[in-house]
Amino acid sequence: MKKLAMLAAACICLMQISVTGVFAEEKTIQIGALYPISGNLALMGEESWRGAEIARILRNRQGGVAGKQIVFRQGDASTNSAARSETERMIEQDKVKAILGTYASSRCMVASEVAARKDIFYFELGAIANAITQRGYKTVWRTCPTSLDFCRGQVNFIINWLAPTLGKKANEIKVGIAHEDGEYGTSVANSFATLAKKTGLQIVSVEAYSNTSNDLSSVIFRLRKAAPDIVVAVSSSQDAILLSRQANELGLNIPIMGTGGGHSFQSFADGLGPQANGVLNVDFTQYHVNTKYTPGLEEFVKLYQETFKHFPRAGSSLANFMGANVIFNILEKTGGSFDPEKIRKVAMAMDIQPGHTATGWGVKFDKEGQNVRAECLVTQWRDGKLVTVWPKKFAVMEPILVK
Amino acid sequence: MDFYIQVLISGLLLGGIYALISIGLNLIFGVVRILNFAHGELVMLAMYGTFWLYKLYDLDPYLSLVVVLPAMFLFGVVLQRFILQPVLTTSGVMKMFTTVGISILMQNLALILWKGDFRAVQTFYSMSTIKFSGLIISIPRLVAFGAALLSIILLYLFLKYTYVGKALRAIVEDHATARLMGITVERHYLLAFGLGALFSALGGTLMMPFSSVYPTIGGPFTALAFVIVVLGGLGSMGGTFLAGLFIGVIEAFAGTFVSPGLKEAIYFVIFLLVLMVRPQGLFGMGRGTEEIGLK
Repeated sequence: MKKLAMLAAACICLMQISVTGVFAEEKTIQIGALYPISGNLALMGEESWRGAEIARILRNRQGGVAGKQIVFRQGDASTNSAARSETERMIEQDKVKAILGTYASSRCMVASEVAARKDIFYFELGAIANAITQRGYKTVWRTCPTSLDFCRGQVNFIINWLAPTLGKKANEIKVGIAHEDGEYGTSVANSFATLAKKTGLQIVSVEAYSNTSNDLSSVIFRLRKAAPDIVVAVSSSQDAILLSRQANELGLNIPIMGTGGGHSFQSFADGLGPQANGVLNVDFTQYHVNTKYTPGLEEFVKLYQETFKHFPRAGSSLANFMGANVIFNILEKTGGSFDPEKIRKVAMAMDIQPGHTATGWGVKFDKEGQNVRAECLVTQWRDGKLVTVWPKKFAVMEPILVK
Repeated sequence: MDFYIQVLISGLLLGGIYALISIGLNLIFGVVRILNFAHGELVMLAMYGTFWLYKLYDLDPYLSLVVVLPAMFLFGVVLQRFILQPVLTTSGVMKMFTTVGISILMQNLALILWKGDFRAVQTFYSMSTIKFSGLIISIPRLVAFGAALLSIILLYLFLKYTYVGKALRAIVEDHATARLMGITVERHYLLAFGLGALFSALGGTLMMPFSSVYPTIGGPFTALAFVIVVLGGLGSMGGTFLAGLFIGVIEAFAGTFVSPGLKEAIYFVIFLLVLMVRPQGLFGMGRGTEEIGLK
């Protein structure tokens, strides 16, 4: 009898919890947050999530979206198959109507497809593969730049700064490419080569290498033979350090320009020391940037430091912060509604000029759902810091030529 | 011509490092007859050890050998005694899975403890070079090459002239008969594994001045060391050294004159060809060594 009474009490408690659960959901807006937070992409995946999380905290302090508090339902896209199953779980069990994420392009491709088939919105805030918004899904949107934008950033810089600095015309500039032979390196290198050829730059050497290689001397020898004016490197991790070290050892005195990835990590400068000085890079907006052009950046860094007790580890958190804010703004205007037509209408009507968000990017979506005002900035390692040097409106220092 | 010599020098220096990493595997592989898939992880652990001694105590990578080598010897002995010894009498597949398990465990522990970030030390000699008549030789790579050569000579003398060395060679040739002759096989296994770990650590530490470390760095080293050991022949230290140099030079020339992306593929093709023609390796010794420890 006593047992029965306890069982009944337990049942009543459970019912209470589920009732309050349902009640709580009505007062909140539930959004899925899908990032690789374990596995080999965890470091940057978690950093990206932190950006969206800061945006959520900040917005909730200001009263939330359409009077409701925002709640993230967490998903872990540790592998491609996990990205698929986590997306299904968030949609079926957590009943989310929109998902944001993902940092890694391969995870996003899988997850956004699952979401699109169920008519659930997928907002990509950090993955750059061109194809993400080119598959004709009406519910997939992206706020950050694409890999083509990375290459545009590089080509613009080479034509408008490097060529005049070397006293050459754009069509006299010779470019060497060294890239890791995975999906990331190959696709970015191909985009760059296509764009560079269109603008008249000469591609004199394209070297693919394995990013697990512990010796890149053969890449250096081949580049030395081709004698380019600049080497564009697409390195995913430690290969960035190895390339610079061996270039230095073997007398390849040519400026190197990275493409995010391994060239953006603080460990690149820590590992190379003074030799990192002058290495160029193109990436999302970083923290040493003209803050007049990136309103909200300082507030973001302050809240980030309060929450996570240290300085942001990479620009990807800032990009996710910016993107999450764009989504919250859209939902604010739809009155918290996830109606596809309403969201599409509000998003397409959005028109923010560059220089008015925390990353400095403007917001204008094309019909594929890509933010065409997102752009990549050229940075340069100077005394252990990645400072913005191009375009001029973002720059805090003049670029220098270090061979 | 200078260009070809420069590529040859780069290849030889690279080969020296490969040989250094492979000596340890040859000992473990030859004596204990275990396919140690965690070999690269031993190198990784030593590299992290060197990195943290540098980062926390400002200890130069070369000086840190005093700490890293004995620590890794001990680690090897413990690994052999408590994890591998109990499975020694089981099937080859079982032993293989055990070392694969150790490899996965070590990789993930490194990922949890030290994150996926790549880490490098920064010394004044990291990028120092000797230059003469247009040729460039990296000093830390030369040091690693010299250490490989010295290690091979010392190990050769040890195996040739000491009682323990002779016992180890006897075990390589035929461990059952060695046991009948009164050699304490298990105890020598401990020594062989400890020494194997020690030489891997030597390779790892000497690489730190010019290389970075991250949790998954070991995998490629394991594959490479297997190729070199089998190519050179089980139990033959000189064979390992020559095979290391051979692979290094092939890699440098294939990378420079064919394509950097294909250099691994090319030396694997050569490896397969050698296996087909001479399965016991170029300098292999001992009956049954071509069966690569699967018995």
